[in-house]
Amino acid sequence: MKKYFLLSLILIFSEFAHAETIDTTKMTCTCVDLEEVNISANLPLNDNKVAGFFRTNQFASMDNINARLEGMSLIKRGAYAMEPQLNGFSGGQINATIDGMKMFGACTDKMDPITSYIEPTNLKTLTISQGTSGCQNGCSLGGTFDMTLQEPDSKGLIPFYSSLGFGYESISRSKNVLFLSGFSHQKWAFGVEGVYRKNENYKTGENVTIPFSQFQKANLHSVLKYKPNSKSTFKADFLLDDARNVGYPALPMDVGVARASLFALEYTHQGKIQTKAKMYVNSILHVMDDSQRDSLYILKTKPVGKSDTVFMRMDMPGKSSTLGAYLQFVIPWNNRNKLMLKVDNYTNRSLAEMTMHMRYAGFAPELPMYMQTWPENLRNVSGIFIQNSTYVSENLRMTVDGRIDYNIDRLQSKYGQEQASIFNYNLSKQQSKLIKSINFSTQYQLVSELSILANIGYSERMPTVGERLGYYLYNAYDGYDYIGNPYLKAENSKFARLSLTYSKSNLQLNISQSFSFVNDYIMGITNSEIPAMNFYAKGIRVYSNVPSAKLYSTDLQLLYSPTKNLTTFLLSKFTYGELSAREPLPLISPLKNTIVVEYHKKTFSAQGECESALAQNRINTAYNETSTPGFTVFNLKSNYSISSQHATLDLSVGITNLFNKIYYEHLDWGRINRPGRSINLFVNYSY
Amino acid sequence: MKSNIQKFIYTLALSIVIFSCQKEDNIISSNSLDGLSKLKEGYAIGASAKVEIWGKKNFFVGYNNLVVVLYDSLNLKEKITDAHIHFMPLMTMSMMGQMPMVHAAPVENPSETPVNDVFPGAVAFIMPSTETGVWQLRVAVHNHKYDKEGTASFNINVDSPTNSSLTVFTTTTDSLKLVLSMVQPTTPKVGMNDIEFTIHQKAGMMDFPADDSYAIEITPEMPSMGHGSPNNVNPTNTGNGHYKGKVNFTMTGEWKINVVVKKNGVAVSQNLYFNVVI
Ligand SMILES: [Cu+2]
Repeated sequence: MKKYFLLSLILIFSEFAHAETIDTTKMTCTCVDLEEVNISANLPLNDNKVAGFFRTNQFASMDNINARLEGMSLIKRGAYAMEPQLNGFSGGQINATIDGMKMFGACTDKMDPITSYIEPTNLKTLTISQGTSGCQNGCSLGGTFDMTLQEPDSKGLIPFYSSLGFGYESISRSKNVLFLSGFSHQKWAFGVEGVYRKNENYKTGENVTIPFSQFQKANLHSVLKYKPNSKSTFKADFLLDDARNVGYPALPMDVGVARASLFALEYTHQGKIQTKAKMYVNSILHVMDDSQRDSLYILKTKPVGKSDTVFMRMDMPGKSSTLGAYLQFVIPWNNRNKLMLKVDNYTNRSLAEMTMHMRYAGFAPELPMYMQTWPENLRNVSGIFIQNSTYVSENLRMTVDGRIDYNIDRLQSKYGQEQASIFNYNLSKQQSKLIKSINFSTQYQLVSELSILANIGYSERMPTVGERLGYYLYNAYDGYDYIGNPYLKAENSKFARLSLTYSKSNLQLNISQSFSFVNDYIMGITNSEIPAMNFYAKGIRVYSNVPSAKLYSTDLQLLYSPTKNLTTFLLSKFTYGELSAREPLPLISPLKNTIVVEYHKKTFSAQGECESALAQNRINTAYNETSTPGFTVFNLKSNYSISSQHATLDLSVGITNLFNKIYYEHLDWGRINRPGRSINLFVNYSY
Repeated sequence: MKSNIQKFIYTLALSIVIFSCQKEDNIISSNSLDGLSKLKEGYAIGASAKVEIWGKKNFFVGYNNLVVVLYDSLNLKEKITDAHIHFMPLMTMSMMGQMPMVHAAPVENPSETPVNDVFPGAVAFIMPSTETGVWQLRVAVHNHKYDKEGTASFNINVDSPTNSSLTVFTTTTDSLKLVLSMVQPTTPKVGMNDIEFTIHQKAGMMDFPADDSYAIEITPEMPSMGHGSPNNVNPTNTGNGHYKGKVNFTMTGEWKINVVVKKNGVAVSQNLYFNVVI
């Protein structure tokens, strides 16, 4: 069943491969196996054999897992909700979905990537497609990141199973509770899982407490499945994620509430033609909070005639909700060709507001200052995706796919138009744009151990609502207020990737190289004509298309088991990015290595991990970047399971940052040091 | 299975339809008295005309757009649409033991041809009514229908708004007295607003000619936050003492429009500003 939901790394192997004729099935299976053991990014997380490498401890957060995936880096603004970056691409350049469902964060400052609303316990699989490939869920330049939600596990003869775990992390006094439960009866199955986490401010390696690094959250997901017959399945998912009091030490404000809810209905039919239909609605509320921060810091200059003592608060709520549906068919139209067809539509409504309240001592409070940082907008995207895979021979498969998305933005009030008029933008109420993507890939198996995968592709992407309509969005990294540009052209990229895989029973090796040649690259360009709005802002940057940017990434993954009890894993990732004038692209990670050695015997395992990064000196000072020194950090963990006939008790002890290293990574905003040595404990009981 | 697909497509289509609905903008009415209220009414004795004065709100210190509606006083139904109208505002200030002082205010008389049967014009009242200072607005009518003339007199009360949109100042270069009125924006909004000023010279107590010889520079500012706004367009002269430009407000709140009046490139004003609340 797992394999059914495992989309392959690059070729987007459909999950319906099993229905094919014999000669193609054979190849499909080897490929899927190949990708799986290669620990490609699309590993099923409930596969303990490999997932262990990706979890520093068993109550790892999404961020812990993401940090260890191929091509993935994390932009850090606090201890929570790190923003994924794929081979130097982030934000609107990558496409993050939940089983193909679109969901958009409600924060104008990117404090809530959608990965923050998903917990590892919710996850069944995680699939990464690199570059322009993987346009199945939408046109994307930098890659797609698709997470599928956990399903009820109807293992064995026991209809009911449950699992309860407690975790503690000393450095942030992090308390974690997880539970998982499931029930299946005849044609019905029900599963529920939940997490509660509460972290206090963490301490760095030099024993300094980082204020505003706390958070707490609760997450609940439940799923109901009904199988009326062996071929059809109905499924309903409900997910609720609620984070409170989340600190962002690198930003001038925190988050009071970040809440997401998602409801989805799915129908699948496994006939000669494979059908999948899905309908979903999700909504996100994001309320920023600066009430714990000192309000004096914002005053660069004191307005004339006002007393020194100022009280200033900002209310910044954001809302984003998405309603969508898709319908997908996989049609094996002859014994060498398989066609996949998908039509989808979604509508996202977003609104972010900001009201500033100011009061000087001895004066009456001033009138509230209100603006819409994202004017209320409705974005409707209708798309069609077609893919054909041809099994030329047992060793050669070729795939071509393409997508067209028709995008309509509709402003929901005159307010947005009026705000835009300030910048001499003549914004019509409705704007539309057509964007497209096309990709070719070839997988060739040279010998049984060695296969080669080549992709070329082209994709455009729609500018995000913030990039088009954003209104004085303060960027704490470069210190500028950002303003949207409704005249932005679609950013577009030509992409090539070559991936080489060597696979033997105890050795798997994968090397891949990606090149992206981006035109009309969207970034903020300084406009000195417009005065800054925030006191603390250095100036104004307007989202603009710059002629070109080049990105190159290479990844190396090696899994080697010298003996039966010993496994080693190496992941190396490197990205290089430059703008047309050869300046470095800002926010690019240096070379980073992760080496893991694991010893396991019976139900005991011990694991040592070494994470290291080189210094990053290729920086863009115009974007306020400074060099980042290299670092090496060691982590240890061990796990012991005691099993009886029906129950299992797992005990884990681990130490992260063993040598109490003082360090930060290049993508950490504010250069705030990461946590120091931490002792982690975890107990899990399941039956 | 077919019907499921049909249902699905139906829902998909529905989701498009639901989100396609949108509100349409209101159509602006063509009636020129819309949004106005009748401030005064009376008879222009001798002109056979009933005079009504309409305005957005009661008379105030600043540039008042006033609309005159004339009715034939013989039947009180038929509008007079061919007439000459003259505004004559008059303030009488009584001072202890002295002769009362009398002065007028800048006016813009309606044109002979009405707009939608009514006569729009303007008066810029330069000070508020007080206990010792009383305003009278006289409206002289030359009714072309009967070729008769007469004047209607109204005792009016001129309010003093919290944020004044008119200032009288003395030029720093040649000590002339100028009346600067901010005509627009009357209802400022976030976004780009038309901004319009009038300049009248106070040539005598009763003589306020329009002056087209100046240049105006504006700088909007939000004092509590110390920021301005981009892409403002300095008003330029459009004749009859009017100067038109654009002003941008980036958010609601308390704004200040700093104004510099210049002649031949030299500033003739000092520390002029208008407070605006959005
Ligand atoms: Cu936020």
